[in-house]
Amino acid sequence: MGRARRVPVASRAIAMSESQTLKAELAPAGEPAAPARNGWHRFEPVLLGAGSIVLLLLVWGILPQIVTLSAGTKLFFTTPSQVAGTLWRLFATGVIWKPLGVSAAGFAIGLAMAIAVGLPLGVLIGRSRMLNAMFDPFITAFNATPRLVFLPLVMLWFGLGLWSKVLIVFIGALFPILINTYEGVRNADKLLINVVRSFGAKEWDVARLVVVPNSMPYIIAGLRLAIGRAVLGVVVAEFFGSEAGLGVMMVQAAGRYQVDIVFSGLIIFAVLSLAMTALVQILENRLSRWRPQHAAEF
Amino acid sequence: MTDVTSDIAQDVAPPLSFAQRYRKPLLGLFAVVLFFAAWQAAFLVVPFNKLFISKPDLIAESFVDLLLSGELLRDLAVSAVPFLYGFTAAVIVGVMVGIVMGWRMRVGYALDPLMTVFYASPLVALAPLVIVFFGVGVSGKAIIIFLLAVFPFIFNAYAGVRAVDRLLINVVRSLGGSEKDLYLKVIVPSVLPYIVAGARIAVGRALIGILVGEFFAASEGIGYAIARFGDLFALDKMFACIFAIMVIAVVLTEGIRWAERAAFPWRVGQ
Repeated sequence: MGRARRVPVASRAIAMSESQTLKAELAPAGEPAAPARNGWHRFEPVLLGAGSIVLLLLVWGILPQIVTLSAGTKLFFTTPSQVAGTLWRLFATGVIWKPLGVSAAGFAIGLAMAIAVGLPLGVLIGRSRMLNAMFDPFITAFNATPRLVFLPLVMLWFGLGLWSKVLIVFIGALFPILINTYEGVRNADKLLINVVRSFGAKEWDVARLVVVPNSMPYIIAGLRLAIGRAVLGVVVAEFFGSEAGLGVMMVQAAGRYQVDIVFSGLIIFAVLSLAMTALVQILENRLSRWRPQHAAEF
Repeated sequence: MTDVTSDIAQDVAPPLSFAQRYRKPLLGLFAVVLFFAAWQAAFLVVPFNKLFISKPDLIAESFVDLLLSGELLRDLAVSAVPFLYGFTAAVIVGVMVGIVMGWRMRVGYALDPLMTVFYASPLVALAPLVIVFFGVGVSGKAIIIFLLAVFPFIFNAYAGVRAVDRLLINVVRSLGGSEKDLYLKVIVPSVLPYIVAGARIAVGRALIGILVGEFFAASEGIGYAIARFGDLFALDKMFACIFAIMVIAVVLTEGIRWAERAAFPWRVGQ
Protein backbone atom coordinates (compact mmCIF):
# COMPACT_ATOMS: atom_id res chain seq x y z
CA MET A 1 0.00 0.00 0.00
CA GLY A 2 2.54 2.49 1.14
CA ARG A 3 4.70 1.82 -1.83
CA ALA A 4 1.86 2.04 -4.31
CA ARG A 5 0.77 5.36 -2.92
CA ARG A 6 4.23 6.78 -3.11
CA VAL A 7 4.76 6.41 -6.83
CA PRO A 8 2.83 9.42 -8.12
CA VAL A 9 4.68 12.42 -6.84
CA ALA A 10 2.28 14.57 -4.90
CA SER A 11 0.83 17.39 -6.94
CA ARG A 12 2.25 19.94 -4.57
CA ALA A 13 5.73 18.64 -5.15
CA ILE A 14 5.32 18.84 -8.91
CA ALA A 15 4.04 22.35 -8.63
CA MET A 16 7.30 23.26 -6.99
CA SER A 17 9.38 22.20 -9.92
CA GLU A 18 11.45 25.06 -11.01
CA SER A 19 14.59 23.36 -12.02
CA GLN A 20 15.40 20.72 -14.53
CA THR A 21 14.05 18.06 -12.18
CA LEU A 22 10.62 18.90 -13.51
CA LYS A 23 11.17 16.61 -16.41
CA ALA A 24 12.24 13.72 -14.30
CA GLU A 25 9.24 14.08 -12.07
CA LEU A 26 6.61 14.48 -14.71
CA ALA A 27 7.84 11.92 -17.14
CA PRO A 28 9.16 8.92 -15.27
CA ALA A 29 10.87 6.78 -17.88
CA GLY A 30 8.37 7.66 -20.56
CA GLU A 31 10.28 6.39 -23.58
CA PRO A 32 9.97 2.66 -24.00
CA ALA A 33 13.52 1.44 -24.48
CA ALA A 34 14.04 0.63 -28.12
CA PRO A 35 15.86 -2.59 -28.75
CA ALA A 36 19.46 -1.83 -29.66
CA ARG A 37 19.77 -2.93 -33.24
CA ASN A 38 23.12 -1.48 -34.06
CA GLY A 39 25.58 1.17 -32.94
CA TRP A 40 23.78 4.06 -34.60
CA HIS A 41 20.49 3.33 -32.90
CA ARG A 42 22.11 2.97 -29.52
CA PHE A 43 24.03 6.22 -29.75
CA GLU A 44 21.44 8.21 -31.68
CA PRO A 45 20.05 10.15 -28.70
CA VAL A 46 23.52 11.08 -27.44
CA LEU A 47 24.82 12.00 -30.87
CA LEU A 48 21.78 14.07 -31.78
CA GLY A 49 21.78 15.80 -28.39
CA ALA A 50 25.46 16.66 -28.49
CA GLY A 51 25.18 17.49 -32.18
CA SER A 52 22.52 20.12 -31.69
CA ILE A 53 24.58 21.83 -29.01
CA VAL A 54 27.70 21.78 -31.18
CA LEU A 55 25.69 23.06 -34.13
CA LEU A 56 24.31 25.94 -32.10
CA LEU A 57 27.79 26.90 -30.93
CA LEU A 58 29.13 26.69 -34.50
CA VAL A 59 26.37 28.86 -35.96
CA TRP A 60 26.82 31.33 -33.14
CA GLY A 61 30.56 31.35 -33.74
CA ILE A 62 30.53 31.92 -37.51
CA LEU A 63 27.51 34.24 -37.53
CA PRO A 64 29.62 37.42 -37.65
CA GLN A 65 31.43 36.03 -40.72
CA ILE A 66 28.23 35.46 -42.70
CA VAL A 67 26.09 38.36 -41.60
CA THR A 68 27.57 41.80 -41.23
CA LEU A 69 26.37 43.14 -37.94
CA SER A 70 25.63 46.79 -37.46
CA ALA A 71 27.99 48.66 -35.18
CA GLY A 72 25.33 48.86 -32.47
CA THR A 73 24.63 45.15 -32.50
CA LYS A 74 28.33 44.35 -32.51
CA LEU A 75 28.57 46.03 -29.15
CA PHE A 76 26.26 43.37 -27.74
CA PHE A 77 27.74 40.47 -29.61
CA THR A 78 30.18 37.87 -28.50
CA THR A 79 31.26 34.52 -29.83
CA PRO A 80 31.70 31.19 -28.06
CA SER A 81 35.45 31.36 -28.53
CA GLN A 82 35.56 34.81 -26.93
CA VAL A 83 33.48 33.51 -24.00
CA ALA A 84 35.77 30.51 -23.62
CA GLY A 85 38.80 32.79 -23.69
CA THR A 86 37.30 35.07 -21.07
CA LEU A 87 36.40 32.12 -18.86
CA TRP A 88 39.96 30.83 -19.12
CA ARG A 89 41.38 34.28 -18.37
CA LEU A 90 39.09 34.74 -15.35
CA PHE A 91 40.26 31.49 -13.81
CA ALA A 92 43.91 31.79 -14.88
CA THR A 93 44.36 35.25 -13.38
CA GLY A 94 42.33 34.24 -10.33
CA VAL A 95 40.07 37.28 -10.61
CA ILE A 96 37.07 35.03 -10.38
CA TRP A 97 37.77 33.47 -6.97
CA LYS A 98 36.80 36.41 -4.80
CA PRO A 99 33.33 37.09 -6.28
CA LEU A 100 32.74 33.36 -6.61
CA GLY A 101 33.59 32.88 -2.94
CA VAL A 102 31.20 35.64 -1.89
CA SER A 103 28.39 34.11 -3.94
CA ALA A 104 29.15 30.61 -2.71
CA ALA A 105 29.09 31.75 0.91
CA GLY A 106 25.65 33.33 0.50
CA PHE A 107 24.41 30.21 -1.27
CA ALA A 108 25.80 27.75 1.26
CA ILE A 109 24.67 29.59 4.40
CA GLY A 110 21.19 30.23 3.00
CA LEU A 111 20.72 26.65 1.85
CA ALA A 112 22.03 25.23 5.14
CA MET A 113 19.59 27.43 7.06
CA ALA A 114 16.74 26.35 4.81
CA ILE A 115 17.55 22.69 5.46
CA ALA A 116 17.94 23.27 9.19
CA VAL A 117 14.54 24.95 9.42
CA GLY A 118 12.64 23.17 6.63
CA LEU A 119 13.34 19.57 7.65
CA PRO A 120 12.14 19.69 11.27
CA LEU A 121 9.25 21.99 10.43
CA GLY A 122 8.18 19.72 7.58
CA VAL A 123 8.20 16.69 9.88
CA LEU A 124 6.25 18.62 12.52
CA ILE A 125 3.47 19.82 10.25
CA GLY A 126 3.36 16.41 8.58
CA ARG A 127 2.78 14.73 11.93
CA SER A 128 0.39 17.24 13.49
CA ARG A 129 -2.89 18.03 11.79
CA MET A 130 -3.39 21.17 13.82
CA LEU A 131 0.00 22.68 12.99
CA ASN A 132 -0.57 21.75 9.36
CA ALA A 133 -3.88 23.61 9.28
CA MET A 134 -2.36 26.63 10.95
CA PHE A 135 0.74 26.84 8.77
CA ASP A 136 -0.99 26.06 5.49
CA PRO A 137 -2.11 29.61 4.56
CA PHE A 138 1.37 30.99 5.17
CA ILE A 139 3.08 28.24 3.20
CA THR A 140 0.67 28.65 0.29
CA ALA A 141 1.10 32.42 0.24
CA PHE A 142 4.89 32.47 0.52
CA ASN A 143 5.35 29.63 -1.88
CA ALA A 144 3.28 31.25 -4.60
CA THR A 145 4.89 34.67 -4.19
CA PRO A 146 8.15 35.35 -5.99
CA ARG A 147 10.76 35.84 -3.26
CA LEU A 148 12.18 38.72 -5.19
CA VAL A 149 9.33 40.90 -3.98
CA PHE A 150 10.84 40.93 -0.50
CA LEU A 151 14.24 42.03 -1.72
CA PRO A 152 13.79 45.81 -1.24
CA LEU A 153 12.52 45.14 2.27
CA VAL A 154 15.33 42.74 3.08
CA MET A 155 17.83 45.28 1.77
CA LEU A 156 16.38 47.92 4.06
CA TRP A 157 16.77 45.61 7.01
CA PHE A 158 20.09 43.93 6.32
CA GLY A 159 21.86 46.31 3.98
CA LEU A 160 23.97 45.36 1.00
CA GLY A 161 26.08 42.75 2.72
CA LEU A 162 26.02 39.00 2.98
CA TRP A 163 22.95 38.63 5.13
CA SER A 164 20.31 40.03 2.81
CA LYS A 165 21.56 37.57 0.20
CA VAL A 166 21.43 34.75 2.73
CA LEU A 167 17.86 35.65 3.63
CA ILE A 168 16.68 35.72 0.02
CA VAL A 169 18.33 32.35 -0.64
CA PHE A 170 16.81 31.03 2.58
CA ILE A 171 13.25 32.11 1.72
CA GLY A 172 13.61 30.64 -1.76
CA ALA A 173 15.05 27.31 -0.70
CA LEU A 174 12.94 26.80 2.41
CA PHE A 175 9.60 26.00 0.79
CA PRO A 176 10.63 23.21 -1.60
CA ILE A 177 12.32 21.42 1.30
CA LEU A 178 9.47 22.11 3.72
CA ILE A 179 6.68 21.06 1.37
CA ASN A 180 8.42 17.96 0.09
CA THR A 181 9.33 16.83 3.60
CA TYR A 182 5.72 17.34 4.58
CA GLU A 183 4.44 15.32 1.63
CA GLY A 184 6.91 12.56 2.39
CA VAL A 185 5.89 12.44 6.04
CA ARG A 186 2.22 12.38 5.13
CA ASN A 187 2.79 9.42 2.85
CA ALA A 188 4.71 7.37 5.38
CA ASP A 189 3.28 3.91 5.89
CA LYS A 190 0.71 4.07 8.71
CA LEU A 191 1.15 0.36 9.37
CA LEU A 192 4.85 0.75 10.07
CA ILE A 193 4.15 3.69 12.37
CA ASN A 194 1.61 1.63 14.29
CA VAL A 195 4.01 -1.27 14.56
CA VAL A 196 6.77 0.91 15.95
CA ARG A 197 4.32 2.54 18.33
CA SER A 198 3.08 -0.85 19.52
CA PHE A 199 6.61 -1.67 20.51
CA GLY A 200 6.65 1.40 22.69
CA ALA A 201 8.32 3.99 20.47
CA LYS A 202 7.99 7.66 21.30
CA GLU A 203 7.23 10.30 18.66
CA TRP A 204 10.97 10.92 18.28
CA ASP A 205 11.59 7.24 17.52
CA VAL A 206 8.72 7.22 15.03
CA ALA A 207 10.32 10.12 13.23
CA ARG A 208 13.80 8.62 13.33
CA LEU A 209 12.90 5.03 12.43
CA VAL A 210 9.96 5.34 10.04
CA VAL A 211 9.03 8.81 8.96
CA VAL A 212 12.33 10.35 7.94
CA PRO A 213 13.78 7.29 6.17
CA ASN A 214 10.49 6.88 4.33
CA SER A 215 10.34 10.45 3.16
CA MET A 216 13.97 10.48 2.01
CA PRO A 217 13.12 10.42 -1.73
CA TYR A 218 10.78 13.35 -1.23
CA ILE A 219 13.33 15.29 0.78
CA ILE A 220 15.97 14.72 -1.88
CA ALA A 221 13.60 15.85 -4.62
CA GLY A 222 12.90 18.94 -2.54
CA LEU A 223 16.61 19.52 -2.13
CA ARG A 224 17.09 19.41 -5.88
CA LEU A 225 14.42 22.04 -6.38
CA ALA A 226 15.85 24.06 -3.51
CA ILE A 227 19.26 24.16 -5.18
CA GLY A 228 17.75 25.64 -8.32
CA ARG A 229 15.91 28.24 -6.34
CA ALA A 230 18.91 29.04 -4.20
CA VAL A 231 21.04 29.72 -7.28
CA LEU A 232 18.28 31.94 -8.61
CA GLY A 233 18.17 33.69 -5.24
CA VAL A 234 21.91 34.37 -5.30
CA VAL A 235 21.68 35.80 -8.80
CA VAL A 236 18.79 38.17 -8.17
CA ALA A 237 19.97 39.23 -4.73
CA GLU A 238 23.34 40.15 -6.19
CA PHE A 239 21.77 41.94 -9.12
CA PHE A 240 19.89 44.37 -6.97
CA GLY A 241 21.37 44.52 -3.54
CA SER A 242 24.96 43.51 -3.10
CA GLU A 243 28.39 44.96 -3.34
CA ALA A 244 30.30 41.81 -4.23
CA GLY A 245 29.72 38.50 -5.91
CA LEU A 246 29.39 36.86 -9.27
CA GLY A 247 26.04 38.53 -9.97
CA VAL A 248 27.49 41.96 -9.24
CA MET A 249 30.32 41.21 -11.62
CA MET A 250 27.82 40.31 -14.33
CA VAL A 251 25.68 43.42 -13.88
CA GLN A 252 28.73 45.65 -13.98
CA ALA A 253 29.96 43.88 -17.08
CA ALA A 254 26.59 44.29 -18.78
CA GLY A 255 26.74 47.99 -18.04
CA ARG A 256 30.17 48.13 -19.71
CA TYR A 257 28.99 46.04 -22.69
CA GLN A 258 31.40 43.24 -21.74
CA VAL A 259 28.99 40.61 -22.95
CA ASP A 260 31.60 37.84 -22.78
CA ILE A 261 31.88 38.30 -19.01
CA VAL A 262 28.09 38.13 -18.65
CA PHE A 263 28.02 34.83 -20.53
CA SER A 264 30.98 33.53 -18.53
CA GLY A 265 29.08 34.23 -15.33
CA LEU A 266 25.98 32.54 -16.71
CA ILE A 267 27.99 29.46 -17.61
CA ILE A 268 29.61 29.32 -14.18
CA PHE A 269 26.21 29.53 -12.49
CA ALA A 270 24.76 26.86 -14.79
CA VAL A 271 27.69 24.48 -14.30
CA LEU A 272 27.59 24.92 -10.52
CA SER A 273 23.87 24.29 -10.37
CA LEU A 274 24.13 21.21 -12.61
CA ALA A 275 27.07 19.90 -10.59
CA MET A 276 25.24 20.31 -7.31
CA THR A 277 22.12 18.64 -8.70
CA ALA A 278 24.30 15.73 -9.80
CA LEU A 279 25.84 15.60 -6.32
CA VAL A 280 22.39 15.36 -4.76
CA GLN A 281 21.55 12.60 -7.20
CA ILE A 282 24.59 10.65 -6.04
CA LEU A 283 23.56 11.27 -2.45
CA GLU A 284 20.10 9.99 -3.21
CA ASN A 285 21.40 6.81 -4.81
CA ARG A 286 23.62 6.23 -1.80
CA LEU A 287 20.83 6.87 0.73
CA SER A 288 18.25 4.80 -1.12
CA ARG A 289 20.42 1.76 -1.51
CA TRP A 290 18.43 -0.19 1.07
CA ARG A 291 15.15 0.53 -0.69
CA PRO A 292 13.96 -2.18 -3.05
CA GLN A 293 13.15 -0.82 -6.52
CA HIS A 294 14.06 2.67 -5.44
CA ALA A 295 14.80 3.51 -9.04
CA ALA A 296 11.17 3.03 -9.94
CA GLU A 297 10.01 5.61 -7.49
CA PHE A 298 11.77 8.74 -8.45
CA MET B 1 -26.72 -10.19 13.67
CA THR B 2 -26.89 -7.31 16.06
CA ASP B 3 -23.12 -7.11 15.95
CA VAL B 4 -23.13 -6.67 12.21
CA THR B 5 -25.69 -3.89 12.25
CA SER B 6 -23.85 -2.04 14.97
CA ASP B 7 -20.67 -2.33 12.90
CA ILE B 8 -22.46 -0.83 9.94
CA ALA B 9 -23.88 1.89 12.09
CA GLN B 10 -20.40 2.77 13.23
CA ASP B 11 -19.16 3.02 9.67
CA VAL B 12 -21.60 5.79 8.93
CA ALA B 13 -19.84 8.91 10.13
CA PRO B 14 -21.75 10.86 12.75
CA PRO B 15 -22.94 14.25 11.48
CA LEU B 16 -20.12 16.71 11.92
CA SER B 17 -20.57 20.02 13.64
CA PHE B 18 -19.68 23.21 11.80
CA ALA B 19 -16.40 23.53 13.68
CA GLN B 20 -15.45 19.93 12.92
CA ARG B 21 -16.23 20.12 9.25
CA TYR B 22 -14.39 23.38 8.64
CA ARG B 23 -11.64 22.65 11.12
CA LYS B 24 -8.81 23.19 8.66
CA PRO B 25 -9.87 26.53 7.12
CA LEU B 26 -10.95 27.79 10.52
CA LEU B 27 -7.60 26.94 12.07
CA GLY B 28 -5.87 28.57 9.12
CA LEU B 29 -7.93 31.71 9.44
CA PHE B 30 -7.26 31.73 13.15
CA ALA B 31 -3.51 31.50 12.54
CA VAL B 32 -3.57 34.36 10.03
CA VAL B 33 -5.59 36.57 12.36
CA LEU B 34 -3.28 35.64 15.21
CA PHE B 35 -0.26 36.54 13.09
CA PHE B 36 -1.54 40.02 12.26
CA ALA B 37 -2.74 40.59 15.82
CA ALA B 38 0.67 39.63 17.16
CA TRP B 39 2.34 41.91 14.61
CA GLN B 40 0.11 44.78 15.69
CA ALA B 41 0.48 44.05 19.38
CA ALA B 42 4.24 43.69 19.27
CA PHE B 43 4.65 47.45 19.00
CA LEU B 44 2.93 47.97 22.33
CA VAL B 45 6.09 46.48 23.81
CA VAL B 46 8.76 47.19 21.20
CA PRO B 47 9.35 50.81 20.21
CA PHE B 48 7.93 51.48 16.75
CA ASN B 49 10.30 52.80 14.10
CA LYS B 50 8.46 53.93 10.98
CA LEU B 51 11.60 53.74 8.85
CA PHE B 52 12.27 50.14 9.68
CA ILE B 53 8.95 48.31 9.93
CA SER B 54 5.30 48.98 9.51
CA LYS B 55 2.12 48.02 11.33
CA PRO B 56 -0.91 46.17 9.90
CA ASP B 57 -3.26 49.12 10.51
CA LEU B 58 -0.94 51.55 8.69
CA ILE B 59 -0.51 49.05 5.86
CA ALA B 60 -4.26 48.58 5.49
CA GLU B 61 -4.70 52.33 5.49
CA SER B 62 -2.17 52.92 2.70
CA PHE B 63 -3.52 49.94 0.78
CA VAL B 64 -6.94 51.60 0.73
CA ASP B 65 -5.29 54.91 -0.18
CA LEU B 66 -3.38 53.39 -3.10
CA LEU B 67 -6.48 51.58 -4.26
CA LEU B 68 -8.76 54.62 -4.10
CA SER B 69 -6.28 56.95 -5.77
CA GLY B 70 -5.99 54.42 -8.59
CA GLU B 71 -2.22 54.31 -8.23
CA LEU B 72 -2.08 50.62 -7.44
CA LEU B 73 -4.38 49.62 -10.28
CA ARG B 74 -2.46 51.78 -12.72
CA ASP B 75 0.84 50.16 -11.71
CA LEU B 76 -0.68 46.70 -11.99
CA ALA B 77 -2.13 47.50 -15.40
CA VAL B 78 1.27 48.72 -16.60
CA SER B 79 2.91 45.52 -15.41
CA ALA B 80 0.18 43.34 -16.86
CA VAL B 81 0.96 44.36 -20.47
CA PRO B 82 4.44 42.79 -20.80
CA PHE B 83 3.22 39.91 -18.64
CA LEU B 84 0.47 39.10 -21.13
CA TYR B 85 2.73 39.48 -24.18
CA GLY B 86 5.53 37.38 -22.73
CA PHE B 87 3.27 34.73 -21.30
CA THR B 88 1.20 34.34 -24.48
CA ALA B 89 4.36 33.98 -26.54
CA ALA B 90 5.66 31.42 -24.04
CA VAL B 91 2.46 29.37 -24.28
CA ILE B 92 2.44 29.35 -28.08
CA VAL B 93 6.15 28.70 -28.63
CA GLY B 94 6.56 26.36 -25.66
CA VAL B 95 3.61 24.13 -26.46
CA MET B 96 4.55 23.92 -30.14
CA VAL B 97 8.20 23.09 -29.47
CA GLY B 98 7.23 20.60 -26.77
CA ILE B 99 4.71 18.81 -28.98
CA VAL B 100 7.14 18.55 -31.89
CA MET B 101 9.80 17.23 -29.50
CA GLY B 102 7.38 14.60 -28.24
CA TRP B 103 5.97 13.72 -31.63
CA ARG B 104 9.24 13.31 -33.53
CA MET B 105 11.61 11.16 -31.56
CA ARG B 106 14.72 12.53 -33.28
CA VAL B 107 13.76 16.14 -32.59
CA GLY B 108 13.26 15.16 -28.97
CA TYR B 109 16.71 13.56 -28.83
CA ALA B 110 18.27 16.59 -30.46
CA LEU B 111 16.66 19.31 -28.37
CA ASP B 112 16.32 17.67 -24.97
CA PRO B 113 19.90 18.25 -23.72
CA LEU B 114 19.98 21.75 -25.14
CA MET B 115 16.74 22.72 -23.44
CA THR B 116 17.90 21.12 -20.20
CA VAL B 117 21.04 23.24 -20.26
CA PHE B 118 18.96 26.37 -20.85
CA TYR B 119 16.49 25.44 -18.15
CA ALA B 120 19.22 24.70 -15.62
CA SER B 121 21.06 27.94 -16.15
CA PRO B 122 19.63 30.90 -14.28
CA LEU B 123 18.37 32.80 -17.30
CA VAL B 124 17.47 35.73 -15.07
CA ALA B 125 21.16 36.42 -15.35
CA LEU B 126 20.58 37.55 -18.92
CA ALA B 127 18.15 40.23 -17.72
CA PRO B 128 20.69 43.08 -17.64
CA LEU B 129 21.74 42.28 -21.18
CA VAL B 130 18.16 42.08 -22.44
CA ILE B 131 17.32 45.38 -20.78
CA VAL B 132 20.38 47.09 -22.21
CA PHE B 133 19.64 45.71 -25.66
CA PHE B 134 15.86 46.10 -25.87
CA GLY B 135 15.44 49.07 -23.61
CA VAL B 136 13.31 49.59 -20.55
CA GLY B 137 9.98 49.43 -22.34
CA VAL B 138 7.46 46.67 -22.82
CA SER B 139 9.59 44.60 -25.20
CA GLY B 140 12.52 44.07 -22.83
CA LYS B 141 10.28 42.96 -20.00
CA ALA B 142 8.18 40.76 -22.27
CA ILE B 143 11.33 39.01 -23.47
CA ILE B 144 12.56 38.36 -19.93
CA ILE B 145 9.14 36.94 -19.04
CA PHE B 146 9.13 34.82 -22.18
CA LEU B 147 12.61 33.43 -21.44
CA LEU B 148 11.60 32.43 -17.93
CA ALA B 149 8.13 31.09 -18.71
CA VAL B 150 8.74 29.15 -21.92
CA PHE B 151 10.62 26.16 -20.50
CA PRO B 152 7.90 24.77 -18.23
CA PHE B 153 5.61 24.70 -21.27
CA ILE B 154 8.23 22.99 -23.45
CA PHE B 155 9.04 20.31 -20.93
CA ASN B 156 5.46 19.67 -19.87
CA ALA B 157 4.09 19.48 -23.42
CA TYR B 158 7.00 17.15 -24.26
CA ALA B 159 6.26 14.94 -21.27
CA GLY B 160 2.53 15.06 -22.03
CA VAL B 161 2.91 13.86 -25.59
CA ARG B 162 5.24 11.09 -24.54
CA ALA B 163 2.77 10.01 -21.88
CA VAL B 164 0.00 9.42 -24.42
CA ASP B 165 -0.98 5.81 -24.05
CA ARG B 166 -0.21 4.00 -27.32
CA LEU B 167 -2.67 1.29 -26.35
CA LEU B 168 -5.49 3.83 -26.27
CA ILE B 169 -4.56 5.07 -29.72
CA ASN B 170 -4.66 1.51 -31.04
CA VAL B 171 -7.99 0.87 -29.34
CA VAL B 172 -9.57 3.96 -30.91
CA ARG B 173 -8.21 2.94 -34.30
CA SER B 174 -9.38 -0.68 -33.99
CA LEU B 175 -12.86 0.39 -33.01
CA GLY B 176 -13.07 2.53 -36.13
CA GLY B 177 -12.43 5.93 -34.59
CA SER B 178 -11.57 8.75 -36.94
CA GLU B 179 -8.47 10.91 -36.74
CA LYS B 180 -10.64 13.54 -35.03
CA ASP B 181 -11.70 11.08 -32.34
CA LEU B 182 -8.06 10.22 -31.84
CA TYR B 183 -7.22 13.83 -31.11
CA LEU B 184 -10.31 14.74 -29.09
CA LYS B 185 -10.62 11.56 -27.06
CA VAL B 186 -7.01 10.52 -26.47
CA ILE B 187 -4.33 13.03 -27.30
CA VAL B 188 -5.76 16.33 -26.08
CA PRO B 189 -7.14 14.92 -22.80
CA SER B 190 -3.77 13.41 -22.02
CA VAL B 191 -1.57 16.37 -23.03
CA LEU B 192 -3.69 19.23 -21.72
CA PRO B 193 -3.29 18.47 -18.00
CA TYR B 194 0.48 18.56 -18.44
CA ILE B 195 0.30 21.92 -20.15
CA VAL B 196 -1.91 23.38 -17.45
CA ALA B 197 0.45 22.04 -14.78
CA GLY B 198 3.24 23.73 -16.72
CA ALA B 199 1.25 26.96 -16.76
CA ARG B 200 1.11 26.90 -12.97
CA ILE B 201 4.89 26.75 -12.76
CA ALA B 202 5.32 29.26 -15.54
CA VAL B 203 3.11 31.83 -13.83
CA GLY B 204 5.44 31.94 -10.84
CA ARG B 205 8.48 32.34 -13.06
CA ALA B 206 6.78 35.01 -15.14
CA LEU B 207 6.09 36.99 -11.96
CA ILE B 208 9.79 36.79 -11.16
CA GLY B 209 10.48 38.04 -14.66
CA ILE B 210 8.29 41.09 -14.31
CA LEU B 211 9.83 42.00 -10.97
CA VAL B 212 13.37 41.61 -12.31
CA GLY B 213 12.55 43.73 -15.33
CA GLU B 214 10.99 46.47 -13.27
CA PHE B 215 13.54 46.48 -10.48
CA PHE B 216 16.23 47.02 -13.06
CA ALA B 217 14.86 49.83 -15.03
CA ALA B 218 11.34 51.14 -15.18
CA SER B 219 9.43 54.28 -14.44
CA GLU B 220 6.12 52.63 -13.66
CA GLY B 221 4.71 49.24 -12.79
CA ILE B 222 4.24 47.30 -9.59
CA GLY B 223 7.88 46.22 -9.26
CA TYR B 224 8.99 49.80 -9.70
CA ALA B 225 6.44 50.88 -7.08
CA ILE B 226 7.87 48.47 -4.53
CA ALA B 227 11.44 49.54 -5.21
CA ARG B 228 10.54 53.26 -5.12
CA PHE B 229 8.55 53.05 -1.88
CA GLY B 230 11.50 51.17 -0.41
CA ASP B 231 13.87 53.93 -1.47
CA LEU B 232 11.50 56.52 0.01
CA PHE B 233 11.27 54.55 3.27
CA ALA B 234 7.49 54.55 2.78
CA LEU B 235 7.26 51.12 4.32
CA ASP B 236 3.51 51.06 4.77
CA LYS B 237 3.00 51.61 1.05
CA MET B 238 5.71 49.12 0.19
CA PHE B 239 4.05 46.45 2.35
CA ALA B 240 0.72 47.25 0.71
CA CYS B 241 2.24 46.62 -2.73
CA ILE B 242 3.95 43.44 -1.52
CA PHE B 243 0.63 42.15 -0.21
CA ALA B 244 -1.00 43.01 -3.53
CA ILE B 245 1.60 40.89 -5.34
CA MET B 246 1.19 38.06 -2.84
CA VAL B 247 -2.58 38.07 -3.36
CA ILE B 248 -2.19 38.06 -7.15
CA ALA B 249 0.37 35.26 -7.03
CA VAL B 250 -1.81 33.12 -4.77
CA VAL B 251 -4.93 33.77 -6.85
CA LEU B 252 -3.13 32.86 -10.09
CA THR B 253 -1.45 29.67 -8.86
CA GLU B 254 -4.34 28.44 -6.73
CA GLY B 255 -6.77 29.38 -9.48
CA ILE B 256 -4.91 27.21 -11.97
CA ARG B 257 -4.71 24.43 -9.39
CA TRP B 258 -8.47 24.71 -8.89
CA ALA B 259 -9.08 24.72 -12.64
CA GLU B 260 -6.93 21.60 -12.94
CA ARG B 261 -9.04 19.84 -10.35
CA ALA B 262 -12.28 20.97 -11.96
CA ALA B 263 -11.33 20.34 -15.57
CA PHE B 264 -9.22 17.20 -15.29
CA PRO B 265 -10.79 15.18 -12.47
CA TRP B 266 -9.21 12.04 -13.90
CA ARG B 267 -5.81 13.35 -12.93
CA VAL B 268 -6.58 14.24 -9.34
CA GLY B 269 -3.95 12.90 -7.02
CA GLN B 270 -1.24 12.70 -9.62
